[in-house]
Amino acid sequence: MKTISRRDFLRGAAASTAAFVMGGSMTALADDSTQEVSIWYYWETESHQVALDQVISDFNASQSDYVVTAEYVPYADFTKQLSIGAVASELPDMVIIDSPDHASYAEMGIFADLTEKFDLSNYYQGTIDSCTIDGILYGVPFGVNCLSLFYNVDMMEAAGCEVPTTWDELLEVVQALTTDSVNGLAFSSVQNEEGTFNFLPWLWSTGADTYDINSEGGIKALTYVQQLIETGVMSTECINWTQGDVMNQFISGNVAMMINGPWQIPTMQSEAPDLNWDVALIPMDSEYASCLGGENYAVISGGNEDGALAFLTYATADEQVKYLMDEFGYISADQTIAENQFDEDSKYNLFVEELEYAKARGPLADWPSVSDAISLAFNEVITGTATPEEAAAEAQATIDGIIG
Amino acid sequence: MKAIKKFFRYDNIGLLFALPAFLYMLIFVGYPIASNLVLSFQNVTVKNLVNGEKLFVGLQNYIELLQDSVFKRSFINTLVFTVACLVFQFLIGFALAVFFNKKFRIAKPVRGLLMMPWMIPITVTALIFKFIFATDVGILNYFLKSMSLIKENIEWLTTPSTAMVALVCANVWIGIPFNMILISTGLTTIPQELYESAQVDGVTKVQSFWRITIPMLRPTIESVLILGFIYTFKVYDLVYVMTGGGPVNTTHMLSTYSYKLSFEMFKYSKGSAVANILLVVLLIVGSFYLKITMKGEEN
Repeated sequence: MKTISRRDFLRGAAASTAAFVMGGSMTALADDSTQEVSIWYYWETESHQVALDQVISDFNASQSDYVVTAEYVPYADFTKQLSIGAVASELPDMVIIDSPDHASYAEMGIFADLTEKFDLSNYYQGTIDSCTIDGILYGVPFGVNCLSLFYNVDMMEAAGCEVPTTWDELLEVVQALTTDSVNGLAFSSVQNEEGTFNFLPWLWSTGADTYDINSEGGIKALTYVQQLIETGVMSTECINWTQGDVMNQFISGNVAMMINGPWQIPTMQSEAPDLNWDVALIPMDSEYASCLGGENYAVISGGNEDGALAFLTYATADEQVKYLMDEFGYISADQTIAENQFDEDSKYNLFVEELEYAKARGPLADWPSVSDAISLAFNEVITGTATPEEAAAEAQATIDGIIG
Repeated sequence: MKAIKKFFRYDNIGLLFALPAFLYMLIFVGYPIASNLVLSFQNVTVKNLVNGEKLFVGLQNYIELLQDSVFKRSFINTLVFTVACLVFQFLIGFALAVFFNKKFRIAKPVRGLLMMPWMIPITVTALIFKFIFATDVGILNYFLKSMSLIKENIEWLTTPSTAMVALVCANVWIGIPFNMILISTGLTTIPQELYESAQVDGVTKVQSFWRITIPMLRPTIESVLILGFIYTFKVYDLVYVMTGGGPVNTTHMLSTYSYKLSFEMFKYSKGSAVANILLVVLLIVGSFYLKITMKGEEN
């Protein structure tokens, strides 16, 4: 048997490395005119990544000027990476970001002006607002979602309950649904943007304004959350549950009702196909309310703007929007597409209806600080470290200090 | 030319050898520290991070921090956390080291196994402990309940006081092997003759522990405690994963609060001010360590 000497081995290794490197550069050099366009996004759901990759590879195949690549950056690291990238001038050419963060990044001065470059006349106004600062358009809405009430139909029937439409009815129903092993209600209450997103529908439903939490309505919303905790229908562990965790608790049957978004539906259908659930508008105090969520595309100024615009034009065409929205469980930000997006009996239609009551957060460059004050307030109430009145007053002081 | 030659004669040649390391430290340690210091005296937020004037605001960030209740809380938290962890890690680690120093059959493999917590990535440990301490599905509550020690599940990670306890438990578990292995090494350096002659003189086991083991281990103990302090004081990943500084900001450490200020709330200057305060504390403790090790080398 021929043994391979150390030298032969090294030689082989060097050759294969060289071949690998050259192979890599050869594909990049296949056509001198091909330019690279990079995108950062934070979706962790696999089906979302696959859908985006599909649109990207279709785009790459459809023309020969640009090659688009997408890179996943975890949501928790996204602001950090963008901040560092901005200082070090190492940004991608395009980002897909959470809509409430849009104003902050735009203030950073890293986004290109897209005014008049896209026809957004059919888009929902809230989504356009989220990427408009001082009348200048800094992005294009990717798609929208909002929160609604999910309920376990079997548990509801067993308890003999009707779908609640007001806060009082909701409290009665979730008390009836709560048992030793089942919590009546859950919504993500983590102390960050995700928690704020889930709390704002309650605040807005009282008619209170985001920046006016120390009001009758603000205190009422906080008191309602306190009631949910004190009556034991909601677990204090909600302060550690992301929306994904809440959905897992729901499909495991530990929670009878939850506040969540339509992007959970594809996962719920594949993970728990037998679960009998339905959706309803979030019960109201004085008016229906929900929080508008979703992502926006933004083009980095100084990057490969032409390439990014070419991809953006492709990705926002009707056909691609429809494909992406269906795969994501999102609703199109384009109202004309959204209205005919789903079959009549689809559960998504409820979310289209809820969208009419959904408001956007901000837009405000200091939104993260406002959001932090609000999420601190309901976390204090949930953990019992402050009364609703104290929490509201404290949050108000912080918010007043921010918006002046 | 002559002067250069003269300079490098004898001992001074050592300076040349230290130059690469010095340059490396200057670029990769010195520069970030200096730039962080400058940043903390400015007012950099999202609005002037890339473009725009970065105003020099002097000590304003530090003054504002001193009035910030979350900062005060995180400073105290970091101290309490560090001291609590050090005490338990050290005592348990010491006890285990002495125990496994006895030559019984499975001493070596078991001591090896006990190194596991030190080798597991901290984020993994943090997740495991997050599950252990979970209210409704956590195994700790399950055991306590089945032994009838508690009636209602304890909300470990969502109550401010118990969340800190949970963090300390997790970190103690991680830190025990570190203490144990260093003290074990220290124990092997004590000459057996000392114990033998003491035995001849009729000294009891307890006496020889206090009069021989402890004094002989003193340099080791000092190093372990100071290194442990430095490792523990800059804790980040464990807290970030287990509680994220919550509930209601009650378990923030200096490191996590600095991160939150910089990268969640875009207050870059304030965040770097917190990081600098963390650095100053560590520098003070670190200088003690240097003093001890230098003294050791002189001897």
